[in-house]
Amino acid sequence: MVVLRAGLCPGLTEEMIQLLRANGIRTVVDFVSSDLENVAWKCSLSYKALVAVRRVLLAQFSAFPANGADLYEELKSSTAILPTGSPSLDQLLDSGLYTGEVTELMGAPGSGKTQVCLGIAASVSLGLKQHVLFLDSTGGFTASRLYQMLRAQTEDEEEQLEALQRIQVVRVFNIYELLSALQELRDQLQGLCVVSSVGPLKLVVLDSVSAVIYPLLGGRQSEGLALMMQLSKELKTLAREFSLAVVVTNQVTRDGSTGPLKPALGRSWSFVPSTRLLLESREAPWEKATTQRVASLAKSPRQPTGVQVELDIGNGDVLEPSPVTPAQGL
Amino acid sequence: VCSLFVRMGLSLLARLEGRSSLKNLEPYLFAEEGSPVHGDVVEFHGPEGTGKTEMLYHLIARCIIPKTEGGLEVEVMFVDTDYHFDMLRLVTILENRLAQGTEEMIKQCLGRLFLVSCNSSTQLLLTLYSLENLFCAHPSLCVLLLDSLSAFYWIDRSNGGESLTLQEMNLKKCANFLEKLVTQHHLILFATTQTLMQKSANSAESFFPLKLPHETDTDYRPYLCKSWQQMVTHRIFFSKQCNSGNSTGFTVISCHLKRNQIVKRSFSVAECGVQF
Repeated sequence: MVVLRAGLCPGLTEEMIQLLRANGIRTVVDFVSSDLENVAWKCSLSYKALVAVRRVLLAQFSAFPANGADLYEELKSSTAILPTGSPSLDQLLDSGLYTGEVTELMGAPGSGKTQVCLGIAASVSLGLKQHVLFLDSTGGFTASRLYQMLRAQTEDEEEQLEALQRIQVVRVFNIYELLSALQELRDQLQGLCVVSSVGPLKLVVLDSVSAVIYPLLGGRQSEGLALMMQLSKELKTLAREFSLAVVVTNQVTRDGSTGPLKPALGRSWSFVPSTRLLLESREAPWEKATTQRVASLAKSPRQPTGVQVELDIGNGDVLEPSPVTPAQGL
Repeated sequence: VCSLFVRMGLSLLARLEGRSSLKNLEPYLFAEEGSPVHGDVVEFHGPEGTGKTEMLYHLIARCIIPKTEGGLEVEVMFVDTDYHFDMLRLVTILENRLAQGTEEMIKQCLGRLFLVSCNSSTQLLLTLYSLENLFCAHPSLCVLLLDSLSAFYWIDRSNGGESLTLQEMNLKKCANFLEKLVTQHHLILFATTQTLMQKSANSAESFFPLKLPHETDTDYRPYLCKSWQQMVTHRIFFSKQCNSGNSTGFTVISCHLKRNQIVKRSFSVAECGVQF
């Protein structure tokens, strides 16, 4: 809600504002939605001047429509598809994570959400040489595991180190810390055009979204839901405006005890991600000790849903001798 | 003066022409003889993943594909409040539907589409006000799509504090102005609303004017402002069934609110978009 003040737009004088305020017109919305003929008469202001101010205010505060053909041209050069490092996951996602979108990984505890996030971060940082922001709200980020994944992909220590340096980790333990981290990111990205201090950022991981949203729900619900929608808008606009791929993790729940698994956080959140994957772990039928991980597509704007693939988390390197935790780069 | 008359006559003609052609927008979506005409307001309502946005892509494709390829060749305005619009998906649908899906042809079609994204109900309202000029300047711009009208519901509700009037103020203004736009510029408006709330258990009154078989019972609870509820002429409920195997079927229940007609149709979604 923008309040009318002198200097807000050319032609809007302090005197005008006083007269308008006396007639109950305080904000931009009040002004542009009033009948200007009537206002001109009541405030004895020039109708022409009022119309001119309205036109400027609208141009200033409304969103500008783009032509589809121009937008398509722009998207062709700005959209990137980031491979996740796991061929089966890429197959589900139609070759990888699309920039400009929010992708959700949902799954029960222990289904491998964090592992998949770390794998994606490693692949984007090492394979694509792109920067990654990892927002950790559960304390689940494990540098040693990330390092292990990088070592499995390259033996070059220099490359491993550089890849680690491209991954920035921010710990956020409540919604306010998270929103301010995102605001900081926005400021940084906007500043990027002038001074290029950080390399190009392509991926933001939020593990997990439910950890910061759960405490808000219950009690005075609408406030919590409003904050949740604020977060969703922030994630989606960041993804769109700066061509980022955004990955969030979420818990699962079900209706009753037999219903199908669905994302936690309720109906309003369910509309937020464009693409949603369900991760499940099952005991492998042939060997009790190993768990088999399965990913299935629950929502996608491109691919038929319901398709299932087996996941190969860490392709065996979990059994490697315990690695050294790197001190630098994180 | 003469040339002005000629121009006005031409734009009137263009509009009348558009009026007759929109009948074929998607007959399957409506009850017989119940296809929307200019001035109608169609609401798509349903839970996540039930094909609402996909249906909008279908309508866009129908509108922007040239007449020679079986389309309507009219212009469309898409207002995106969910930051959900997927241009690449639309292009895939166009490629599949055009006999010659060349880049040049695709761009020609997309040239008939206008897109605007809004991030708050205030911005939505101001944007709608500012669109008036565009509608005046483009007589063949006769379809307005809004995905979704419920995007700012929780934020507005929280901002409005205890007062329902304040909570609904922006949306009510949006609805009133949409009604004015639709009437004055002879548009058809399609807007999606999301199922954000469960049907309250104690509301005995049924929304449907006609008795429906039990299976078509929908989870519907109107929660958006009265101004909106009253201007809707067609309400279409979307739902999804998981069939055996991997195929997913979608169903629409289409209600012509002024005529009490109801029709139920199924569709599927393929690479080339919605198929009835």
